[in-house]
Amino acid sequence: MSLFRAEGLVKRFGGLLATDHVDLAVEAGEIHALIGPNGAGKSTLVNLISGLLPADAGRIVLDGVDLTALAPHARTRAGLARCFQITSVFRNDSVRDNLLLAVQAQAGSSFRCLSRRDAEHALQERAEALAQRAGLAEVLERNAGTLPHGLQKRLDLALALAARPKLLLLDEPMAGMGPEDSQQMVDLIRSLRSETAILLIEHDMDAVFQLADRISVLVYGKVLTSGDAAHVKGHAEVQAVYLGTEVAT
Amino acid sequence: MQGSTPQNPSSAPGAVAAITHARFPGLARRLPWLVLALLAAFPLLAPALGLEYYVGFVRRVLIVAIAATSLNFILGYGGMAALGHAGFIGVGAYTVVALVEAGFSSAWLAWGSAALVAGLAAAAIGAVSLRTRGVYFIMITLAFAQMLYYLAVSLRTYGGDDGYGLYTPLELGAWLDGAHAQVFYWVVLAIAAAVFALFSRVAHSRYGHALRGIRDNETRMVALGYPVYGLKLAGFVAAGAVAGLAGGLLASHNAFVSPSIMHWTQSALLLVMVMLGGAGRRWGAPLGVALWLTLEEALKLYTDYWHWPLGLLLLLVVFHAPQGVAALLERRGGRESVR
Repeated sequence: MSLFRAEGLVKRFGGLLATDHVDLAVEAGEIHALIGPNGAGKSTLVNLISGLLPADAGRIVLDGVDLTALAPHARTRAGLARCFQITSVFRNDSVRDNLLLAVQAQAGSSFRCLSRRDAEHALQERAEALAQRAGLAEVLERNAGTLPHGLQKRLDLALALAARPKLLLLDEPMAGMGPEDSQQMVDLIRSLRSETAILLIEHDMDAVFQLADRISVLVYGKVLTSGDAAHVKGHAEVQAVYLGTEVAT
Repeated sequence: MQGSTPQNPSSAPGAVAAITHARFPGLARRLPWLVLALLAAFPLLAPALGLEYYVGFVRRVLIVAIAATSLNFILGYGGMAALGHAGFIGVGAYTVVALVEAGFSSAWLAWGSAALVAGLAAAAIGAVSLRTRGVYFIMITLAFAQMLYYLAVSLRTYGGDDGYGLYTPLELGAWLDGAHAQVFYWVVLAIAAAVFALFSRVAHSRYGHALRGIRDNETRMVALGYPVYGLKLAGFVAAGAVAGLAGGLLASHNAFVSPSIMHWTQSALLLVMVMLGGAGRRWGAPLGVALWLTLEEALKLYTDYWHWPLGLLLLLVVFHAPQGVAALLERRGGRESVR
């Protein structure tokens, strides 16, 4: 029994079939990479799974619970957290305030409106622990918007981690990063393996081959094939549509 | 967030206080209390200064500031650009009218009911409106407020277009009535101070932080697991209820209610005053209301064409202090932002 299953997901935009009956499974403790050329429908699929886009058909099951009918915020509470391809943090707030907002969502009601939030030690400690975890401890008091791109990406990831997810959706966590930042991100993601299963969408093939236990290839909204790195590298059709020369060399 | 206390940046008492913050940190904390004390003493000092007429004026400023503070809460902190806030003021005022017409005379019952009924109206209107975003939200809140306006116009029992006069003042209860000619002024001041303190407190609570998060990045808030719709609706209802309370007080203040109290231009004016003072700033609403109404009052002494200098002022603020006067004062005080 897989930790996570998406079954028969369909999404149409007018006449375009962006997601074409996609089945996908992620096992516990697994890093499952989703690759595919631009326009293959990777981001659409992430949005369907996280619920930001409503699916036209299909089912989503996490840890035996059917999440299909749940609103996106309820899916997060059920253990399905996500990062964003275009970094999505609270740019005008400090890193600390960003993390506090993220941990607050998971600990008690956010309708509490009389006591000072910043005086809650449990929240502060959780936020600081998260900062430590994501390598942000030194920049806690800095405004998120002023951080270099690599650190903003890490903050984005830390915000998702606050939900203590069972499955983490990472939508291009290395996008726009230099090699050094990329490698740090790879190390960070690898260190998460013991805490959560990961569905990783990434263009950086080095990172994918370093991290992924299993790789699914998405083309024109369909899963072309699924398997380990060797299987995908050796797959003739994959080479033709996507990897091309990168594998040949 | 920059300032002398990065660990606890939100502790500053606000814009007015921030002016003096750099040099007189103690004064910064006390300034709000000083303002409150001056306002409380005003009716006693006014006769000696020959300013008796202005006691009523300040009372009106305080009532409008209550409404503006509630609008600032959803507009400035919640990012909800509601263009129908006067509708809730009207619901509150007409609730008082309905109770008086039915023979009730307790002020507390009337004002409490005004808040309650306006809160219920806000729940119904918000439940529909908050499913939209941006311009659509502006238009739909405007549309609902106009429906309320025409409803009031059509209510023949309550005077329709001509309005309804409240000839006997509402009873405040036991010892308050007749204790002093200005008792109503102090009641309004106490309510205004309580409302302001309450919203300031809420701003730093879990709820206040969540509301600002929604304003700044709604999609991320959803992804973090926040029930965004419910959180926004709660804020909308609270703001509607407080606007209704202001409407109830305004009914007593004017001893008269007509549909013009909830005309859409009143909603727009309230928005303008909040933006002038500084949306999302603690002192934005009271500053904006005090500045606008005082200038209006002063300009009327000199010219019948008092609209255009006010328009000019608004243009100046839009171009030179788009964050509002409160933000301008904070900058002068050496602070980038105090929220």
